[in-house]
Amino acid sequence: MASASTAATAAPNSLSLPPSQFARLQPHAYLLAHLSPPSSSNQPSIRANGRAPSQFRVTSANAGSLTHTNGSAVVRLGDTTAVCGVRAEILHTDDIASWSVSQSTNANKRRRIGETEKESETADEEDRAHIEDLNLLVPNISLSTGCAPGFIPSAPPSALAQSLSHQILSLLHTTRLVQAEDLRIWYQPPNLGPEEAQQHNDEEQMDLDAGANEEETKPAEIKAFWVLYIDIMLISLAGNPFDAAWASVLAALRDTKLPKAWWDVDNESILCSDDVNESQKLSLRGLPISSSFCVFEADAAAGWRAVVIPDAEEQKAQDSKHGSQKWILADPDGYEEGLVQERVHFVVDKEEGKTVIVKMEKHGGWTVDSEDLRQLVDISAQRMVAGLVVPVACLPALVTLSPRHTGTSSESHIDHEPLHQPMTELG
Amino acid sequence: MNDRRRVNGPPGGTRPPVYASLLQSGTGADIRAQRQRQPTDLRKIFLKTGLIPSASGSSYLEFEPSASLAAARSNPKSLIPPSSALKLACTVHGPKPLPRSAPFSPNLVLTTHVKYAPFAARKRKGHVRDSSERDLGVHLETALRGAIIAERWPKSGLDITVTILEAEDDRWWGDVPDSHDASWGMMNVLAGCISAASAAIADAHIDCLDLVSGGVAALVSDDSTDSSSALPKLMLDTDPAEHRSIVSACVVAYMPARDEITELWLKGDSSKVSTADGDERSGHEALIDGAVDAARGAHTVLAEAVRESLQKALGQS
Repeated sequence: MASASTAATAAPNSLSLPPSQFARLQPHAYLLAHLSPPSSSNQPSIRANGRAPSQFRVTSANAGSLTHTNGSAVVRLGDTTAVCGVRAEILHTDDIASWSVSQSTNANKRRRIGETEKESETADEEDRAHIEDLNLLVPNISLSTGCAPGFIPSAPPSALAQSLSHQILSLLHTTRLVQAEDLRIWYQPPNLGPEEAQQHNDEEQMDLDAGANEEETKPAEIKAFWVLYIDIMLISLAGNPFDAAWASVLAALRDTKLPKAWWDVDNESILCSDDVNESQKLSLRGLPISSSFCVFEADAAAGWRAVVIPDAEEQKAQDSKHGSQKWILADPDGYEEGLVQERVHFVVDKEEGKTVIVKMEKHGGWTVDSEDLRQLVDISAQRMVAGLVVPVACLPALVTLSPRHTGTSSESHIDHEPLHQPMTELG
Repeated sequence: MNDRRRVNGPPGGTRPPVYASLLQSGTGADIRAQRQRQPTDLRKIFLKTGLIPSASGSSYLEFEPSASLAAARSNPKSLIPPSSALKLACTVHGPKPLPRSAPFSPNLVLTTHVKYAPFAARKRKGHVRDSSERDLGVHLETALRGAIIAERWPKSGLDITVTILEAEDDRWWGDVPDSHDASWGMMNVLAGCISAASAAIADAHIDCLDLVSGGVAALVSDDSTDSSSALPKLMLDTDPAEHRSIVSACVVAYMPARDEITELWLKGDSSKVSTADGDERSGHEALIDGAVDAARGAHTVLAEAVRESLQKALGQS
């Protein structure tokens, strides 16, 4: 590999190409020359964009600038810009086909589980069921805004856009960021006499039956849900779209205000108050921050083209050989993303002072081992402490971190592409 | 209907929130947005180029929020915004070679796409372009085609994409649409699209005859006295949310250097207008002149933005 790096440094002189053209003709050698400067020149290893390998781009966020949204944010991550708008609409329980059925089964379940397990467990399960099964969170990312040359405007969402939308959706579900309670619109039926209750419609009668053995007074019932349409327009794409999109979703959700809503019996519909003082902000669970890394290998082709049957010894030999020839680059820009195969992706959160890995994804290679992963978690966590993510700055105080279901918070999955590899485990 | 390539909401559909205050008649009349500007005053325009480095040319345009909107922002009382201010981003990709399958073209092939963000308007927009968005795209293409010197780029294509982050209202939110109501907000959006696209094309260093800018004028009958004899007045750069009744409106794409109109779109009844004494112009002449005046105003902003972008480009090289 020494030959490649010397060729890289020598080429600009002999061919007298300007750096920008050299970067275009020999992108891999160009980045390699930056990262491994000749030992004589005493220069630090630096990326072609002037950042240190573990340095993130400057993030800035601006919340609440769009008029027709319940919450909005513009996040700039270097040259990548994402605009996120949250619109809340109402889903009546009458419009949910399986509502009365699922309600009664839930009630049965509650009765059965209530004896053996904790009440909070079932409440958690119900929250999850409401948000996930009723599709109350609808994130969609749009890349067809002319954000980068490759995306055809007015074409259906590309594979990248689809995968980003689903990543955001699954992250919203697993982090349980939005509390289901915030999205419910309750109705407390007035305490009428028995003969008056007879005159009410059947639905209420059914609910009355279902809840009859719990309390004597009529139980409050859910009449509707808020559905949050989270639309992300990626205005400019210069690498790392997921981090930018997720940061904008987070900032927009923190900015989101839902009007006070109630069931109006006379109109048989949900009415809202337009008074700002009566509206309520969403209370989010935690502040999960996503950080992406990519691994730049000095000889990208060598390990990849050969068909390797992975076994421990060979792996070890490869590790020692590769030890000095890989760089883990934080927050890759568009140029670097085109040169790497292996990516690592973390979403971390703080819970009572401890760092929690909410999501971990690694695919495209095997050069990153568990030791590296641990370091990357530390880097991601530091980023959070340093307040590099500006949504924190938008609002004075951090949201109080409510206890979280351990099953979901420590969920992690490692994807390997294209060769299947034994899983690297975090100690 | 179910789009499998997107995350869909609840299958039963959702309803936008209904505000209780709207059900009582006559509410909001006192907080109705009113035009604070003179009839010939234009709104300030924020226009900046080169914000999207991956595109060959780009621009971002924003209209100054109206007085009522600015007041509502600084001191929020109601969740219903009184009016909205146009915000849009425009990117230009190209000139680039046409795909192999395309037939030979001696000129630059221009394609324009206008898309509203789902949260751009008071009513949620769909993800797929609707007819009004396609309509805007065609109007924008006509406006720009007259300005670009297309024969300098044979066999190449130019993609212009406009993303509207916030659109103008068609009327004040409390009003119900009446007989001579049309999508007046679309005309302001088109004017903004033309100016922004023109700046982005200049940013991409594509030869044009002149910077083409968009302007809107409207005939407005705002009198609350409701006397039928009162003739509609000419106003420049109208924000439809600030007016009781717009009778007709006109948007032009105009090149001042050649005194040429590349696109003209006139809607409504322009037969009657109250003009100054001695002014013999007919309604539609006054309307077009007004729109051209508005476009001239936008042109000064455009020229300044392009000068800035050029200075930046010179500083870099």
